[in-house]
Parts: sequence; C-alpha cells; structure tokens
Amino acid sequence: MGFVLDGLETEAYDRTYRDRDLLRRIAAYLRPHTRRMVLVSLALALNTATTAAGPILVSRTVDTLLVAPSTRAIVVLTVSLVALGIAGWALNFVRQWYTARVVGDVVLKLRQDVFSATVLHDLSFFDEHPSGKIVSRITSDTQDFSTVVTLTIDLASQVLQVLVLTLWLVKIEPRLALLLMGMTPISAVIALSFRRVARRVTLHAKQVTAKINADIQESISGIMVAKSFRQEQAIFDAFHERNQEAYRVGLRRGLTLNTIFPILGISSGIATSLLVYIGGLATRGGISPGDWLLFMQTVGFYWWPIMSISSFWSQFQDGLSAAERVFALVDAEPKVIQSDRQPVGALEGQIDFHQLRLSYTGRELVLPGLSLHIRPRETVALVGHTGAGKSSMARLLARFYEFQDGSLLIDGRDIRTLDLHEYRQRVGLVPQVPFLFSGSIRDNIRYGCAGATDEQVLQAATRIGGGDWLSALPDGLDTDVGERGASLSTGQRQLVALSRVLLKDPPILILDEATASVDPFTEAQIQEGLAEVMKDRTAVVIAHRLSTVRNVDRIIVLRNGEIIEEGNHEALLAARGHYAELYNTYFRHQSIEYMEQARHLAEPGSEGQSARSDTVATRP
Amino acid sequence: MLREPVEKREFTVANEYPYNHAGTVRWIASHLLRYPLFPLLALAGAILNNTFYSSLQVFVGRAFDVITTPGWTSAALLVVGLTVLGAGVGQGLTGLLRNYSMEFLAQLVERDAREELYVSLLGKDQTFHGRQRVGDIMARATNDVHMINLMFSPGLMLILDSLLGTIMPIVLMARINTRLLLVPSIYLVFFAITVIDHNRRLKPVTIAMRDQFGVMNAGLEEAIAGIEVVKANVQEQYEWAKFTQDARSYRDSFVRSGEIEAFYLPPLVHTIAAAAALLHALQLWQVGVLTLGQVVSFFGLMRALSFVTFISIFSFNLVQMGLASADRVLDIIKARSEMDENKQGTARAVDGEVIFEDVSFGYGEQPILKHISFAAHAGETVAIVGETGSGKTTLTRLINRIFDADCGRVLVDGIDVRDWSLASLRSQISTIEQDIFLFSRTVRDNIAFGRASASQDQVELAAAQAQADEFIARLPQQYDTLLGERGVNLSGGQRQRLAIARAFLTNPRILILDDSTSAIDSATEDLIQRAMWRISRQRTTFLITHRLSQIRWADRILVLRHGELVDQGTHEELMARSEAYRRIFARYESGNGERGH
Repeated sequence: MGFVLDGLETEAYDRTYRDRDLLRRIAAYLRPHTRRMVLVSLALALNTATTAAGPILVSRTVDTLLVAPSTRAIVVLTVSLVALGIAGWALNFVRQWYTARVVGDVVLKLRQDVFSATVLHDLSFFDEHPSGKIVSRITSDTQDFSTVVTLTIDLASQVLQVLVLTLWLVKIEPRLALLLMGMTPISAVIALSFRRVARRVTLHAKQVTAKINADIQESISGIMVAKSFRQEQAIFDAFHERNQEAYRVGLRRGLTLNTIFPILGISSGIATSLLVYIGGLATRGGISPGDWLLFMQTVGFYWWPIMSISSFWSQFQDGLSAAERVFALVDAEPKVIQSDRQPVGALEGQIDFHQLRLSYTGRELVLPGLSLHIRPRETVALVGHTGAGKSSMARLLARFYEFQDGSLLIDGRDIRTLDLHEYRQRVGLVPQVPFLFSGSIRDNIRYGCAGATDEQVLQAATRIGGGDWLSALPDGLDTDVGERGASLSTGQRQLVALSRVLLKDPPILILDEATASVDPFTEAQIQEGLAEVMKDRTAVVIAHRLSTVRNVDRIIVLRNGEIIEEGNHEALLAARGHYAELYNTYFRHQSIEYMEQARHLAEPGSEGQSARSDTVATRP
Repeated sequence: MLREPVEKREFTVANEYPYNHAGTVRWIASHLLRYPLFPLLALAGAILNNTFYSSLQVFVGRAFDVITTPGWTSAALLVVGLTVLGAGVGQGLTGLLRNYSMEFLAQLVERDAREELYVSLLGKDQTFHGRQRVGDIMARATNDVHMINLMFSPGLMLILDSLLGTIMPIVLMARINTRLLLVPSIYLVFFAITVIDHNRRLKPVTIAMRDQFGVMNAGLEEAIAGIEVVKANVQEQYEWAKFTQDARSYRDSFVRSGEIEAFYLPPLVHTIAAAAALLHALQLWQVGVLTLGQVVSFFGLMRALSFVTFISIFSFNLVQMGLASADRVLDIIKARSEMDENKQGTARAVDGEVIFEDVSFGYGEQPILKHISFAAHAGETVAIVGETGSGKTTLTRLINRIFDADCGRVLVDGIDVRDWSLASLRSQISTIEQDIFLFSRTVRDNIAFGRASASQDQVELAAAQAQADEFIARLPQQYDTLLGERGVNLSGGQRQRLAIARAFLTNPRILILDDSTSAIDSATEDLIQRAMWRISRQRTTFLITHRLSQIRWADRILVLRHGELVDQGTHEELMARSEAYRRIFARYESGNGERGH
C-alpha cells in the first residue's frame, strides 16, 4: 500500500536521453529473456481473469439464489472459487518466479557491462566524477532501473484488471459504471497533489536533517573540549536548540505523510455510500441485487489501482533517470586512444617529451610545449609550485591522459602506438597517497604480479628499509591491512607501495612522493626504500623530500608548464634562481641546519630576521 | 525516601525527567508514559478506525437486505446510505487521530531520547570520553535514536493496526452469529503457520542478500577508488572477474528470494478459506439462521481479513531494530566511569614534575605499555618518539588519568596521580589533540573558549604568541570570522595554532601536545616552530612529535617501541649510544650528499 509514498526522495534530474532511446536499450537487455517474458505476460493476463471472475461469479450466484435457493449452485460456487483461487495463486507463482529470474539476470548483465565500461575510462573521467557517484550508479542505479521492469508488470496487471471489470460493469449498467468511474479521478487527483506536497516536504526535511545531524555531530565531538574548559551549559544550549529544530522538521514531515491514507479512506467511503444509495435505487429499474453487490465489491478494485496508476508515471520517470545515469556511464567516450597495439618488448627506459602540449579543459594550457630528454636509468626529480605541471608529466607518462600536440617517445617509439597493457606492465607507479586493497600485505605487494612466489614477495619486502618494518607487524607479511589499508600507519602503507614496485621491477618508475607526516623511524626506512627503488631504472619523481632532490641525477625545475632550470641540487642552489626560491619554500625546513637552529628561531628578537637567507648561506 | 545512590555526574539540567533505566523495554515505556495522552489517543483511534472500517461491510449487507425485501422504501435505503457515509468519514477521521498521535509520540520520544543521551554524555567524565570513539557515539545519537522513532511510527503503529484489523472483523462476525467464527478461526491458525514459515525461510536469504550487496559495494568502492593502481598494474580483468563474482552471488540470492516470495502461501490459504466461509454461511442461510444480507456482510468481513496478510516482516523488523538501537543508547546512558574523583585528595597548584615508576598498562590482555620509568623535571620539554602504535598517546593519558596504570606509579610533583583530587589535577593539565576540534563559532570565541571573560587584548596577545595573528588578520572578518560548517575552513597548521592560542589563555602547568601535522612549506614550519617553542616554555610539555627539529631541541627524548621505553636521554646522548636513533638522522648528516660525483 506504500506506493503513494514511494520514490519521494529522488532529486530532480536533467535528462539528456530521450525516453524512446532509453526504452529501446532497456528492451535490448530484455530480449534474451523473451520466452520468460512471454510466460510472465500470459500468467499475468490469465491471473487478471481469475481475479475478476471471483466477484462476478459471486454476484451471479446471489441472483440465482434469490430466485431459487439451490444447494447445487452453492457447491458449484464454492468449488469454482477454490479452483479460481488455486489457479490464480499458481499463475501468480509463475509470474513472480520468472520475473525474479529476468530481473536478476538483467541487472547482473547490466552491472557487468557498466563495470567493464567504467574501468576502460581514462583517469580524466575519474577526476570529473567522484568515485562515490560512480559506485552508486553501478550498484544502486542498476537496481532502481529494475524497478522500471517490475513497475511495468504491476501496472499492466492493474490496468488489465480495471479494464476487464469496466467492460463487465458497462455491460450490466452503463450509467452506474459511469458513476463509479467518474469518481475515480477524484482519488487520482488527491493522490497526485498529495505526492507533490509530500515530495516537497520530504526533500526539505532531507536537507534540513542532514544539516541538523551535522550540527548534532559537531556538538558531540565538542563535548570533550567543552568539558576540559567547563563550558557544558553553553554547548548544551546549542544542542538543545538544534534538537528542537530536528523535532519540528521531523514532525512536519511525519504528519504530512500520515495524512494521505485517512483522506483517501474518506473519499472511498463517500464513493461507497453514493453507490449504496444510487445503485440501490437502480435495482428498482433494471439491475439485479447481484449486480448491485458486484458494484459494491469493485469499489476496492478500482480505488487502490487507480492511485497506483496515478503515481506510476513519476516512479517510472525515476526509473528511467536511473537507467539514463547507467547508460551515460557506459556511453562516455574514452579520451586516451591508442593508434596501434605494437608489442613493447624489453624497455631501455629512454623517455622523450617533444614539444608536448597538454590542456585538460581545452582552454587552459597546462603544458604549452614541453621538451625533455631522459636517458635510460637516469633519476629525475620534478620540482615546482602547485600547478607547475609536475603531476601532468607523470600522468602522461603513465598514459592516463591524452595530450593534444607534440609527441611522447618511449625508447624512441610513439607512446600511442604501444600495446597499452603491455606498456603499463613495464611501468611502476607509486601514487602520492598509496592505495592498498583489503587483504594481506602479501596480497598487496603481489598486486600486479600474480605469479610471484612467496619468496620473491619476501625478498622485495626485505629490500625496503632492511625489512625492519615487517617485524613491527603482528603477522608479518600475512598481516591484514584492513579496509584500504586502514590498520596500517601512513608510513607502513608507503613501505608496502615501495615493495610492490620492487617486486614488479619495472624499467620505468613514476613516483609521486607522499607529503603526509610520518614518524621518524618509519621515515628513515622510507628514505632508504626510495633510494633502493630508484636504483638501476629510469625514475621520474615528483619530489617533496630534501633527501630525494639531493640524490637524483638531475632536477627539472618547472614553472607554468615550462622547464626553466635544470641541474643538480648544489649547482641549482648556487645559481640562486627559481630553484633556490623553491628550496626556501619547500625544502629548507628539512635540512639538518634548520633542525639544529630551530630553537633559536623562536627566541625573542629572531622574529624579524630572515632565517631563510641564513640557512641558505650556510650551505656549502 | 529511599532511592538508589545518586550516580556521579558532572552536568545536570533543571527539571530533568526521571526515566527508568532498569531495562530497555522499561526505559522505552518510561519515555512513552511521559506523554500518556498520545498512546491512549492512538489506541482509541486505532480501535475506532478498525471498527468503522469493518462495519462498512456490515452496512453493505444491511443495504442488501433492504433492497431485497419486497416493498422497500427509498427512505430506508437512504438511512443505510448515510450510515455508510458516516462510517467512511469516521474511519478517515479516527485514522488521522491514530496516525497523528503515533507520529507525535514517535517524534517526541526521538527528541527526548537524544536529549537524555546528550545530557548524560555531558555528565560523563573525561575518562569516559577519552575511551569512547566519537564516531560511535555520533551514530547512537543520530541513527539509533532515529530507529527508536521508526519503531513507533510506522513499526508499532502497523502492528497495532494489523492486530485490530484482525480482531474487529472477528468481533463483528460474532455479533452477526457466533457460529460463523468456525472458518475464520481455522483460517487464522493456518494463516499464522504459513506466515511464520514464510518468514523463517525468507530471513536467511534477506540477510544474505544484504550482506552480499555490502560485499559487492565495498569491493567496487575499493576498485574505483584505487583505479589508478588497478590501471597501472593492468589488473582491469582481475577486478572485473572479482566484481562479477560478487554481483553473481547477489543475483543468486535475489532470485532465491524471488522464488520464496513467489511461494507465499497466505493468499492461497485466504481464498480457500473465503470460499469455505461462504459455503458455511450459505448453508446457515439455507436453514434460515442468517439473512442473505448477513451472508454478504460476513463475506465482506472475511475479505477484510485478507488485509492482515500485508503485515510484513517489515514492521516486526522495525521493532526489533528499534529495540536493539534503544539498547545501544541505554548502554551509553548507563555507562559509568570507574575513575575515583578523590575529592579529598591533594588540591593545590602543580609545579610540573612528572615521574613514571615502572608503569605498565594494557587494555584487557593486550599490553600497551611495559615497565616505563622516567623522570621529567618541572618546565622540561619531553619529546616522545616512536612508530605508530608504540604507545605514545596512551603514555600521556596516564598523566591526566584518562587511564590508570595497571602496575607502577605515575607521580606529579612527587604525589601519585591517584592521590590528587582529580578536578585539581586535570584543571592544570591541558591536551592539544592531533585532530583539533574547533566549534562553528567565531575565531575569538574559539580562542577564548576556556576563558570566556578574556578581553579582546588578551585574546589578541594569545593569538600573537601562538603565531596565529597573521592569518587571522587575513580572514574576512578577522576575529569575528565564523569557523566550521558554515564558515571558513582552516588548514591543519592554522587549527593547531588556534589551539595553542587557547592554551596560552588558560595557561596550564602541564601541556600534552600531539603534533603530527605536516607542514609542506617552510614558512608555516617556522611559525609552528615558534608557537610550539613558546608554549612549551614555563611549563612541563610532553610533545608527541614527528618533527626532527623538535626532537632535536627537547630537553629529554623518550624512544618507544612496541610499548617499551627502549631509550631516553638528550639528543647527544642518544646519538652516541642508540643505533636506531642514529638511523633517523643518517640521511641528513651526510652534508655533501651521498652520491659520488
């Protein structure tokens, strides 16, 4: 009975697909199940006939009995009702049984299709769409889409039922049938206008409740602080006011939603009383008492289906919106396009950016025409302010994004012509925030090298920081990392990510150094590990650590997508150019000199003087 | 007057309503009885509503008798028609009465339960809050409390209505003729058996479905969030196979549940019972016990009984979940912290000396700290270093007695912390947590949170000492800028300096500072260094830190590993004797760079 209240929370959604196109695609998913659908439709039609036949049979028998009481008529009626009941139940069974299979299979197929379409998209797609929304499209929207199917089946059965009854009633007494049908739009109008109000109140309540809940959560997080400063009364007053507001909003929504059924009950009561009287009068001229009885019984048959039919359209639209969100995900065009799938073979690791132009939006140039030659097994650090183009270069190298002009050559071959999967197997990537999958540390190190033996995994892990980090873990390599690595510390996650690269042993490494604060013991192991992974391979590092920039072969200094300086740490620092400025901004506080002098920094009188030039000056 | 001993609470409100905490059901009942009118109105509404609804069927039968009696008058029919109208309208109005009363009740109980929970949270001491996860309490104050609301409306309301929807038709049948009760009573027995059996079979499948959906969703979330790693390692195929497997087990459970739903027997039982009831009634009519109109009434009432088949597991589940939620809320309300306040204990100004004497501590069987001994003189800055999970935070919580040591002693100014008056001790120890909490209020209010009487000058001075004045000056309304949800969001370093300003105003003797934020740029680092150094002067400071510079200038460094104090001393001492300690400075000491030229 809840249908009038269904689907009130869905937000308005701008559609770009036409209904017809959506329905055609939905139909395509149903086509493999044609035989089942035919069975469902047959069962549905026959079931409608059995449901309508019951009241008709009763009314006929009543008329017979009024004329001449006969035991035979009573027995026939009873047996027929039982037979109709069994048949109706069996038909309904068939309908539900096969519907469940069709819906289950269609949703599964759809989910598989959406998933494979999603993972094919390049990373710019994932930048544009928050992952939470993508997930809900794959799991929830596919589910909601299935309501289009079930809603349609339910609607068909109700429309059929109303049609059969209407035909019968019109045959008996057209004027009375007209009266009955004339009243049904009233209930439809009530239901529809109520839905509008209810939808508004529900959406409003949803927004307000989210805000209030956030406030209540804040006042709970604040309890500890309030207590340590003895501000309980103040924080309670703030809470009390919020709680009152939550009460008022909830009450308003609750009362609104609770109004509809009693109101509809009243309207159906009025309809019944009219039929009792007018129909009763009609028995004097034409219709039989049995017919009158049939009219009485059909009020219920009419009233509720009409309401669910009236709310069908908006729910159907919600279902179509869900379908559109799903198909939009499937249809989005990948932007990274390979022109060929040439085998990659063993890589030397030579990289050439040649007059490379990149723009994400089509307007703003991120890289206006960058050229850079990186020798095999060279380690290169990219430094620059945020937006200088460091990450863009790394992403292009991983072939996560498409560039507009120029070329990117790997061992002298155009990156666009390589077999992408094979190429990526030869590239190691350590993202800034290391990502772990739930499972053990072993599984995570092995991710990407499914064939690696336990021994190889252990060897890789041991080469990072001398393997000391493993002893801090409760079950060593078998330690469960928890959801997304939650049971490991940030530093430990970085160590796992480094081990992963060592096991993969790629000729090219792309490393985005983490900036999160890590305890000094783990940090020491990470720094040792970084030196280890960069050894003997081409490494492009987005550097945030002083120890890294001091140890690479070459530092590339970027500003606004252009290379403005390059060289090693000492030479660049001595040149006092942009690198020196970057050093003062990002690396100075990591130097041992800074640590030694930090105490004096804070002493009175030191405020005005620039510690910056001091520290730089002390550099050899 | 005999009452149970008043529990210790740090906060109460005036005119608090006394709820019963003896058990979950009694607790809910006491909430209900706070508004006795609403349950009564809801019950009355439900009874009348179902009476009206059922009597509609009786009146239809009566009308049938009227129109089949030879020589009937329109007036007689009009009377029945008006009765039907009255019953229809009455049904709607009493339905509104029932629904509204229940809704008021549900919302009031939610509001009151949340307030009761909140007041009790404010009444708990820091020990309780130090141990409790904030997220967990939030869930109880929002979700669980709301579940109690849903338990009333629609949960209990639906159950009450279904119950009366069964009773009222039966009562009216009995009023027509008690012999008519034969078939309906058999029907109800079979109905109950089939419904219970159905639910028994459906429940495990429903649970499996929910779990599998959760697994599928979680796996998918992981794959999408880690898409960069998936792609970089060419694991698209593997992730697809994994997802397909999850989606397929969900599909299988979905189909299974569809099969069970298809096999729902109660409608079949009902149609057969209705036919049997009609047979029985017509036989009684044949022998003259009933009129045909009464048969019609009876048949209508029998059909009304089918609505009971709509009470789904849904409403029972709501009640079950509501009770479980109520249990969780009540657990918190009833929780008492065992920390002895020791009002008779030492209460005086703290100097700031802190000594640990062979201190061990653990949660249950799990040891967190083992045999810790050290002494910090008043005014010293003690840096605590160690890997995540080595027990750094727990160690500091033994000083302000969020926890008490299992063995050994913690002494402040030579006196065991357990011999201090808890209030006196805690009021002189401040903690700046890693996650700094700021209220959605102005900058000024946040700084002066512990000393509302502070003048604007004092606030500004504290801000300046904490190196926060510069960024505050750049905020849109300076000290009047609103922070948080609907205001300005501050960076980690800025929040930290506001918290330090707060501490400057309250001037504690012992400060515990959990500093794990990272400064990406050196200018911010300069400010943090200055603020930290200043706040640590003139008081004993425990610094949980990752910053080598702070470790470098601390008076004493404690090195923790797996809950053990593996070494302690000054930087120079540790450099001289500790291999592990040297390692953390190793890559910095190599002044000329390691690489050959």
